[in-house]
Amino acid sequence: MSTLPPELQTELAQQVAAADHPREQVINIMYVLQKHYGYMSDEAVEEAAALLDMTPLEVEELATFYDFIYREAVGKFVIHVCDGVVCWMFHEGSVFDYLCEKLGVCAGGVSADGMFTVLPSACLGFCDHAPAMLINGVFYGHLNPEKIDAILEKLRREYCDLVICR
Amino acid sequence: MPTLRIDQREISVPQGTKVIEAAEKLGIMIPRFCYHPALGSLGACRMCAVKFMEGPVKGVEMSCMVEAADGMVVSTTDPEAMEFRRYVIEWLMLNHPHDCPICDAGGQCLLQDETVSGGHGLRRYQGLKRTFEDQYLGEFVQHEMNRCIHCWRCRRFYQEFAGYFDYGAMQIGNRMYFGRFAPGPLESPFAGNIIDLCPTGVLTDKPSRYKGRRWDLQRGPSLCLHCSLGCNLVGSARYREMIRVEARFHGAVNGYFICDRGRYGFAYANHPDRPRQARVGEEAAPLDQALKTAAQRLGQIRERYGPGAVAAWGSTRSSLETLGMLQWLCQDQGWRGPQFFPQASLARRVKAAVARLDTGMAVSLRDLENADFIVVAGADPVQEAPMLALALRQAARRGATVAVIDPRPVFLPLEYEHLPVSPGDIDLCLNLLSQAARSEEAATGKLEPDAARFYGLLTSTNLEDPLLQERLLALGRKLQDCLRPVIVCNTDMVRETTPARAADQARLLQADKGQAGLFYLLPGPNAYGAALLAGREEVDLLAAMEQGGVKALVVVENDPLGSCPDQERLLRALDNLELLVGLDYLPSATAARSQIFLPTTTVFEKEFSHFINQEGRLQQAVPLHQGGTPIIQVGQGSHPPRTFLDAIPGGEPRPGAGILADLAAALSGEPAPPTAGDLWDYLSGEHEGFSQLASLTASALGEGVHLLPAEAQEPAWSPEPGEKPPEPPAGQLELLLVDQTFGTEELGSYAAPLQKVEEEPHLLLHTDLAADLGLAPGEQVALLLPGGEVTVRLQTAQNMAPGVAIMPRHRRLHWQKTGDGPVWLPPENIKKLSEPL
Repeated sequence: MSTLPPELQTELAQQVAAADHPREQVINIMYVLQKHYGYMSDEAVEEAAALLDMTPLEVEELATFYDFIYREAVGKFVIHVCDGVVCWMFHEGSVFDYLCEKLGVCAGGVSADGMFTVLPSACLGFCDHAPAMLINGVFYGHLNPEKIDAILEKLRREYCDLVICR
Repeated sequence: MPTLRIDQREISVPQGTKVIEAAEKLGIMIPRFCYHPALGSLGACRMCAVKFMEGPVKGVEMSCMVEAADGMVVSTTDPEAMEFRRYVIEWLMLNHPHDCPICDAGGQCLLQDETVSGGHGLRRYQGLKRTFEDQYLGEFVQHEMNRCIHCWRCRRFYQEFAGYFDYGAMQIGNRMYFGRFAPGPLESPFAGNIIDLCPTGVLTDKPSRYKGRRWDLQRGPSLCLHCSLGCNLVGSARYREMIRVEARFHGAVNGYFICDRGRYGFAYANHPDRPRQARVGEEAAPLDQALKTAAQRLGQIRERYGPGAVAAWGSTRSSLETLGMLQWLCQDQGWRGPQFFPQASLARRVKAAVARLDTGMAVSLRDLENADFIVVAGADPVQEAPMLALALRQAARRGATVAVIDPRPVFLPLEYEHLPVSPGDIDLCLNLLSQAARSEEAATGKLEPDAARFYGLLTSTNLEDPLLQERLLALGRKLQDCLRPVIVCNTDMVRETTPARAADQARLLQADKGQAGLFYLLPGPNAYGAALLAGREEVDLLAAMEQGGVKALVVVENDPLGSCPDQERLLRALDNLELLVGLDYLPSATAARSQIFLPTTTVFEKEFSHFINQEGRLQQAVPLHQGGTPIIQVGQGSHPPRTFLDAIPGGEPRPGAGILADLAAALSGEPAPPTAGDLWDYLSGEHEGFSQLASLTASALGEGVHLLPAEAQEPAWSPEPGEKPPEPPAGQLELLLVDQTFGTEELGSYAAPLQKVEEEPHLLLHTDLAADLGLAPGEQVALLLPGGEVTVRLQTAQNMAPGVAIMPRHRRLHWQKTGDGPVWLPPENIKKLSEPL
């Protein structure tokens, strides 16, 4: 049985019912469930499968394919660091390694304070501002260690909702 | 027909042929991993690169992704293409572990072969390899993900080809993982095929794990005996043990695949209790001596009571040799029989079906895949003949409409329309479908007079359920536009009139559209042969035994105590006998009860045998080994005894036909019963369906021969019977005995791997009916049958006919209390015993 709040259940059921083919809604449903659970938990995969008349495996195939569906628990801020060629060219050392070191995490891990998760991302398409990263839907470009420190500090102080992507 | 040159050789191929296929026609096997003829091209592995020298495509390209075109000149051996492939194989091997010595695929591994042929001999990669955790995938498939090279074959078969969705590809890039959402048994009854498809050792055969390398095995072409479809196998034996079975390609029958029942059912041949010694009374005896005693005792009974006091009972799982010899023996000795089917009514249905097949009507499984409208009447393909479901799926993938008219909650791995009607309504549904597919005027105007007359006589009362009626008519309208319809019909649970009705409707469709097919399922791998041999004569041995006319019964590879639905009556009848002689390779109840027992060989041992599948195809099984008790059993898991023998331990069993021939010789005192060659001559005179047999060459027998007559024995358009088969009185339930994929089929029920996966037996009722009776799913219920009470767990379903109760002929269920003929139950005969577990 579903453990989702009744309002959410109704909302999702309506969303599925409105589609010509329920499974075309799979990404949208996953985003909603991810927002509810904080990440796409095993339970969320099974919920999505039941809603869409798919097997959990079919949902898992998609959930593990897309960068912005998190199958493990993530921090309040998910930092997608661009792993594209242009970004490599534009910074000395590695933004990714710097972030990991700074936050004391490895790829996909959550920082001790529960605030940050660092993930590499195939090109973000922000090459004109390389090196770049994306945090909860907001782009940051022309990165260097000082700028990154400032951004992290600012985020620690501000409230932010987990925005998936735009 | 584009013409191209590959490696300086010219070939013309049909439009749409890929270059890799064209090369194969020339005998050039371009290296490949993801491409498979049944699954098509994908372009994932990059292994089939060739160089296009001239024509519309230039340079190094994937031969599986390029269609053959006029003017193409292709080189598979160009240095540039060879270098490309060498790099690809090196790259695919980056993460592959160096575990070939402990890998079960070692020695039959495409990756090994192509690594060597690709010229990648030395590893240059020094880095870490990516690793995975493996999953438990059930009792048949062993998972070892580290070996994966991401060719996608398993997933493409599992989901696209076979239509199950609990196994697939997760993650991306280097991390891509083929498995399930969570560890657990694979749900598909076709899962074993991913073992054959895997080009390396990710998916290996679990029951045969660590039992031998391919070159250790005695391998050979064999046949599946676990339903009537006659799928082709490669069997493997080692140390006198049947180790493994793989699918063998047959273009018209099973294609590249088989079901898991066929893949793992063979283990009955290794059953630890398999009787391998002849027996007289309680005493073991040498086979020739037991045979002499049997002949002597049978002779005495003949002298005392006349030849008719001896009867013979065979079964549809025997080879044509054994069936033919049994028939010959009965005629030669004047014995009663032989009877080949457990019940006279089943024999009549099978004969009705076989008599209606001819070259114009019968379709093969492959033809079925090209049909555009398929009516499945009274059949549950996944449960009864799983490979039929796979063929139906291929038809559906090509756009066919599949309509199932069956009382059971039929599941198929494809899109289909299910009309759950009781068995008594199946004929009517076929009529209604036929009428909805063409108007009265069209019928009278266009059809031949015979066909039009038949059409005019169709009864067409409405179905009780208006919703079903509407769905049926909608299907009929769809049928109007279809060009290649096929009717599939089983002979098991249907009314006696249904097989003939299905044939008539198929013939009507043929008259209407110029093309239509008929596809029957029969009970047993040689039911077609048995039905031809049985002829028109009706034999009811049970009645004859009851009346005391039969004093001795010879039971050949048959277990009436397991298959006769009225066991009590059979036991009483067996008590009337003075002598029961049993021949078998199964440790069956009947074998145990026989006073004289003569052990026979399985299809895998000693001699060639032939079986005729449900579409009249005679096929050959080659012996793989010389029989005998498996060494692992003789040595009880340790080293076999260090004693010298001049014979194979447990090697006494002989083919049934040979034993019967010797029995005939001993009975008549003449040493010359028909030998194998003569047997074909005898059979060809016995029935016109066998007339081709006398002139067949050895190579024709090896390839398989279609024995269908040009014109069916039974004329078409049999009038609808004036007297309908009796229907259950109102308010009573009809009990249907049915098959399950695992657990009901005789040979497979002795196979240990299948016993592990069989579903619990259960009684199935309509959800509403169960609620009315105050019963809930999961409860133990007592079912009061004519022969006594059966305790069984209850299950319910919404999508089944309301007026039936469904029970499997499960080996763990004492269903042989149902009595001969239809069983009608007042609902109060189902009583609640306990709360659900």
